[in-house]
Amino acid sequence: MNTARIRNIRIAFLVLAVVILGGVSLFGNEYIKLIFMLFFLYMSLGQFWNLLGGYSGLVSLGQQIFIGLGGYTLAVTTVYYGFPLWLGALASGVFCLIFALIISRSIFRMSGVYFSIGTWVVAECLGIWFNNWRYVRMGQGMFIKPARHLDVSDVYYIAMAVAIVSVALVYYLMRSKIGLALMAMRDNPGATEVCGVSVFKNKLYCFLISSFCTGVVAAVLYMNMIFIQPDQAFGIQWTVALVFIAIIGGIGTIEGPILGAFIYVILQQWLSDYASISMLILGVIAIVVMLVMPKGIMGTLQRKIGFELLSPRRYL
Amino acid sequence: MKSGSILEVSNLSVHYGELLAVEDISFTIEPGQVVSIIGANGAGKSTVLKSISGLCAASSGSIKFLGEDVTTSKPYHTVAEGIAMVPEGRHIFPRLTVRENLLIGSFTPRARKNSDKNIQKIYELFPILGERCDQFGINLSGGEQQMLAIGRALMSEPKLLLCDEISLGLAPVIIKDIYDKVHEIHNEGISIVLVEQDIKRSLKACDWAYVFLEGKVVLQGSPEDLTEDAVQKAYFGT
Amino acid sequence: MEEYLQLILNGVLLGGLYAVVGVGLSMIFGIVKQVNLAHGDLMIVASFLSMVLISTFKFLNLWTVLILVVPIMFVVGFLLQKYIMMRVMDKGMEPPLIVAFGVSIIVQNGLLLLFSPDARSLETPLAIMSIKVTNMLYIPMMYVVDFCVGVVVILLLHYFFKKSFWGWAIRAAADDEQTAQIMGINTNNIYALAMGIAIASAAVAGTLVGATNNFYPHTGPQYLIIAFGVIIIGGVDSMMGSLLGGVILGLAQTLGGKFFGPGYQLLSGYVLLLILLTIRPQGLLSKARRAD
Repeated sequence: MNTARIRNIRIAFLVLAVVILGGVSLFGNEYIKLIFMLFFLYMSLGQFWNLLGGYSGLVSLGQQIFIGLGGYTLAVTTVYYGFPLWLGALASGVFCLIFALIISRSIFRMSGVYFSIGTWVVAECLGIWFNNWRYVRMGQGMFIKPARHLDVSDVYYIAMAVAIVSVALVYYLMRSKIGLALMAMRDNPGATEVCGVSVFKNKLYCFLISSFCTGVVAAVLYMNMIFIQPDQAFGIQWTVALVFIAIIGGIGTIEGPILGAFIYVILQQWLSDYASISMLILGVIAIVVMLVMPKGIMGTLQRKIGFELLSPRRYL
Repeated sequence: MKSGSILEVSNLSVHYGELLAVEDISFTIEPGQVVSIIGANGAGKSTVLKSISGLCAASSGSIKFLGEDVTTSKPYHTVAEGIAMVPEGRHIFPRLTVRENLLIGSFTPRARKNSDKNIQKIYELFPILGERCDQFGINLSGGEQQMLAIGRALMSEPKLLLCDEISLGLAPVIIKDIYDKVHEIHNEGISIVLVEQDIKRSLKACDWAYVFLEGKVVLQGSPEDLTEDAVQKAYFGT
Repeated sequence: MEEYLQLILNGVLLGGLYAVVGVGLSMIFGIVKQVNLAHGDLMIVASFLSMVLISTFKFLNLWTVLILVVPIMFVVGFLLQKYIMMRVMDKGMEPPLIVAFGVSIIVQNGLLLLFSPDARSLETPLAIMSIKVTNMLYIPMMYVVDFCVGVVVILLLHYFFKKSFWGWAIRAAADDEQTAQIMGINTNNIYALAMGIAIASAAVAGTLVGATNNFYPHTGPQYLIIAFGVIIIGGVDSMMGSLLGGVILGLAQTLGGKFFGPGYQLLSGYVLLLILLTIRPQGLLSKARRAD
């Protein structure tokens, strides 16, 4: 495809996105806005899982570490210390960053599947810890009172901003030197290291960025949920959702989580009365997608038609 | 069709993706023959062996073993039919003992029945393997590993033995020893294909030789008719 | 004093159970180089299957039900590997992981639909029996059964891998797939066989777990982590390592529960796991050295 056509298609998609978002913002009812809000947040979380699993080869099964910590930081700072919500969300990010830095020393010694299981075990530990920690009201959970005044459309706008920033961040990150190093590293870690790129450092940056951002997104998510409880906050179901979002859409692509989150949220809403059936269907979809197109929907499309909407590649 | 040929390869071509590794090769092996395939790196020698054993799929042409078409057969099928392979680089199972390595060679139902008898034969042929039967494969020297690889292939009671670079990386004394054993194996009535880079050695051991260059047969003949000089020229394509 | 003796005994005996939970995962990890994230869930399937069979056919007990459950789960594992996992095996690290994850989700939610989220357990007279050692020291009968069955399963597998043609074939395929093929081994079937055996061992574990503890449709992942702990401690090469791994993990849990309170029983096992992962990322007994 020639560059002019690619540019036209990009502009068309951009216009379409603006029209949809603008339309929903102006004319959407509460329910539509709720769905879009969930879509924004899950999409953002999916982007940051993808940053690890798709681009850095760090298949994390423990993103709920940062979702739980983010949510709890928001709860503790706003309820106990009277932080305003925006500052609470920022604190969530910072706290997640610090925690990520602390565990990275240990977690980064593990590679491949060991990393996956290691992150998951950390999340399980936190779940048990919070269940027994009086300060956060143990297994009872916390009510995030300051957030109760927010209505759906407030959170909708916050979520939209978060989503746009997330996509832009991942896009620019991937086009930066870090992105180039990461993609080289994913394909051949040894050779990349020989070229003078520190694999460890680049992976660590990604891990830290992903942790910070996941914490912030989680805080926004909990502004809508208002209530946080350890089993739910640190549960593996978050990772299930994120893995599906990234994988079904296309691992290692920016468009992937967008499409994946859309499918996920729609499916969840459509089958909201039958939670286990919707999970069951997600499981079947994941397996079928892996069998038929292991690169995910967007990944396979990209390969077939050679077109990327938001390509991290540089054209000279 | 010449009846009685043990192996008949006709118009075989093999591709690796876009790359044409073997182009339109035909040859036959008569029962009891030792055939050498000589050629430089990348001439397609190993690829031919791999397609005979079924590890590589042929793009066109056919392979007949004892009159039966085995072109598309899987390796586990060709082994049961009587084709055994000594892979390049020996490929001993490192975490299995010598005895287990040998026994796994007789995995096919037919060979399994005689495995106890055959393993004694192997120990007679290569006494060192008998001495070291409880050692792990990884602890053997290169020469011992080569003997084990040959012994392991023989355990499947083959009619045709495909040997890929059995002298690679070994000391001359050991190479001589191994070729003596190959001669003994041949005397038992097993047909052998030797793939070698070493021109002198393989010409001495065979009844018929093919020289490969860039995926094609460029010269063939009995060792008496082939001068070393002519082979060398064909080998390098000069 | 006797209190600690009791804890240590319980921990060791529990370790036998954990060893069977982990040994199948360890096998598949070593042979097929995959982490079967559905291992714990398939184990819980066996628990439910035993429960259904025992309550349907009144003449079955904990032992006779194994005659049915083990072969059924063997077939499930065989088919899972042959028709699903096999197709993504050569596609890199993520696809097999995700497919197993998908199976895990399907199993959990399928069980939830069929059986509701209530706690279940297998009823057996063994559950209320215990062996009196001293006046203070009682060993629950079920723990003894767990340990003995665990040891038997481990020994059976050990001899299977050391002494049988199929065992050699599985180890050969694990070492070098292509060379195994030219030995006449159909490696696809061998992997399926290995998965069948792994899931059959999980079936034994599932039945024992069902008779020892409560189980829910969502208990699978918890046992998956235990199984992973067994691999981390015991390494992937050895059946005996699995046994040791199970015992260490069992001890960590009972003693951890004592020192930090009952709420932290699982936590102490997990923390031990993380520490071990940090200092020996390839397993405590594994021969493989890290290449850095």
